[in-house]
Amino acid sequence: MSRWRYFAKRVLLSVPVLVFGASITFVVIRAGPLDPVSAILGPQGDPQAYNTIKRQLGLNQPLWQQYVDYMVNLFTLNLGQSWVQQPDTSVYSLVLTYAPRTIWLGFWSVLIALFIGIPLGFYAGLNPNTLSDYTASFGGIVWRAMPNFWLAVILMSVLSQSEKFFFGFDWQSWAYATNVTGPPPLDNLTSFDGFMRALKKIAPAALVLGSASMGNEMRIGRTAVLETVNSNFIETAKAKGVPPRSLVWKHIFRNALIPLVPIITGEAFILIGGSVLVETVFDISGIGYLFFQAVKNGDMPLVGSLMFIFILLVVLINIVQDFLYTIIDPRVGYEGGA
Amino acid sequence: MAQQESARVRAEEEPLLSVENLQTAFFTDKETIRAVDGVSFDIRRGETVGIVGESGSGKSVTARSIMGLVDSPGRVLDGSSIRFDGEELTDKTEEQYRGIRGGEIAMVFQDPLTSLNPVYTVGNQIKEALRLHQGLRGAAATEEAIELLEAVGIPDASRRVTEYPHEFSGGMRQRAVIAMALACDPELLICDEPTTALDVTIQAQILELLDELQEERGLAIMFITHDMGVIAEVSDRVNVMYAGEIVESAPVEELFENPRHPYTQGLLRSIPGNQPGSERLETIEGDVPTPNEPATYCRFEPRCPKAFEECTRVHPASVEVNTGVDAEDHSAACLLYPEDVSQAEAVELHEQRNSEREVSER
Repeated sequence: MSRWRYFAKRVLLSVPVLVFGASITFVVIRAGPLDPVSAILGPQGDPQAYNTIKRQLGLNQPLWQQYVDYMVNLFTLNLGQSWVQQPDTSVYSLVLTYAPRTIWLGFWSVLIALFIGIPLGFYAGLNPNTLSDYTASFGGIVWRAMPNFWLAVILMSVLSQSEKFFFGFDWQSWAYATNVTGPPPLDNLTSFDGFMRALKKIAPAALVLGSASMGNEMRIGRTAVLETVNSNFIETAKAKGVPPRSLVWKHIFRNALIPLVPIITGEAFILIGGSVLVETVFDISGIGYLFFQAVKNGDMPLVGSLMFIFILLVVLINIVQDFLYTIIDPRVGYEGGA
Repeated sequence: MAQQESARVRAEEEPLLSVENLQTAFFTDKETIRAVDGVSFDIRRGETVGIVGESGSGKSVTARSIMGLVDSPGRVLDGSSIRFDGEELTDKTEEQYRGIRGGEIAMVFQDPLTSLNPVYTVGNQIKEALRLHQGLRGAAATEEAIELLEAVGIPDASRRVTEYPHEFSGGMRQRAVIAMALACDPELLICDEPTTALDVTIQAQILELLDELQEERGLAIMFITHDMGVIAEVSDRVNVMYAGEIVESAPVEELFENPRHPYTQGLLRSIPGNQPGSERLETIEGDVPTPNEPATYCRFEPRCPKAFEECTRVHPASVEVNTGVDAEDHSAACLLYPEDVSQAEAVELHEQRNSEREVSER
């Protein structure tokens, strides 16, 4: 019972976080050097027009009035229209165009990390100090050490002339003809061909974005398994005659997942930030790219709304993390003291 | 006295567990540590055999060797023999061994706070043992688990069975661990310092519980501890271990009344309250040495108040120390014995025993 009460408490706590985050965003946008009016007018705008536009946008109103409007709009999900980036387009339609590409990218990069990093780490942890452990651990360190921007550029240049490096293997024409860069074609995901085409397109970017977290999760997975293997309850289970397979899957696996949960969700945060970089290099016009452009151009409603979406996302991931904790670890929310 | 009566029965019966020349060594890059070096003892049905000694004397490794749980780089050496109920355990494959672990031999570990898996309910973990060894599942298993919890004195067992280990107190957890060990009606229960992590009142309760269970189920118990007081309370027979060897073995009353090995004498003197007149608590100076080579001398010699020259040269073999009725049952590995011959003759006897042993090992 108390586990679920704890979870409900965590969900409720996210409301003040949202309010606080949105307020900080407001302060940063309005107090910073963003000047949407001159961005619209260009460098040679005359003062007359400047003031007109300023009044039209509501920027001459007192700051508290702007703040109230801004908060009310955000929390009623009335995100408004873009000012500079694509004037008179609603923020919704912009997000709907740009966000799916980022989601597609993030989804695969998280999957790569989950399904390669964690199994490798667990395998290494179960066979410590063997050749395969050293190979996996070394690989993990190397993956971790390669910075996103560097790996992205290298991978892009290698793949775009892959026939030179891989004895005639041409990545761009392999299976489906694609360029290395450019947004993934997401309009046809339900058909097998369309799905594979979109997957191949996103693969290099997802690999780059997922690589760092893959290495991280491998290292931590290994440590978590090693720690669990050496704990007393594993010895008790062995003394009970539990066969190795159920020892690993029932007793070790679930306990080793506990320290991994915050790592996995933590990586998800990094993916939001990191995607701006990778999206730019691979020319995937995703939400990170949109945000970057909006900040550069002083597009206040767009920046504010995107920030709000990011905050919402972070809070959601946090709730998912608490949810996972609540499911995996019965000790969560227990206040009796151990 | 019941003690003597049981001693007479003891000699006639086939032992349940018979450990013969058990040698377990750990092979590291630097050295080979002979954690258990030629240990022999018997446990009969319904009997409690205590193993006592300082930390590092090889008690736990002995227990793990019997359970077949010695992890790499450790290994039970050839020439060791562990016979359980007429079967040789050292020849068993890992899979055959698994059927015995938890089935016929169960083990209770030192720290009850960490020896239950934190993410599964207590009932789940008891049922796991039932499923593995008796094929019980579902409602029948739950029922059996509840009965076991009741048997170890956990109140409100039908509710407790669905609770997690963190919802149990330390003493309750040790009871749950004992319930788990008893799940499949083992014949031998190995307790590796089961009360060390508990406070004294809980400790007394657990000891009482073990006593009751033993009476009800005819359990044989191998009880490992470093606490002489606990040993006096629970065991019928005591083996004193030092640096991987058993230095003295006797029925419990005999041992406490008439300790023969200088090490045992030292241990008994260092129990608080045993020497009411003295100002300071007596101790045995120094530490247990790490046994990293075959013994060609007495390992206790550097700390022994009665050591003489031969002790550094001759490894003492286990000999009968003749005192009274229980003469046959009391042995010690010390060059001072047997007492009825001169020291030179005694030393010679030990040398002779050693060479016999070497020949038989070959």
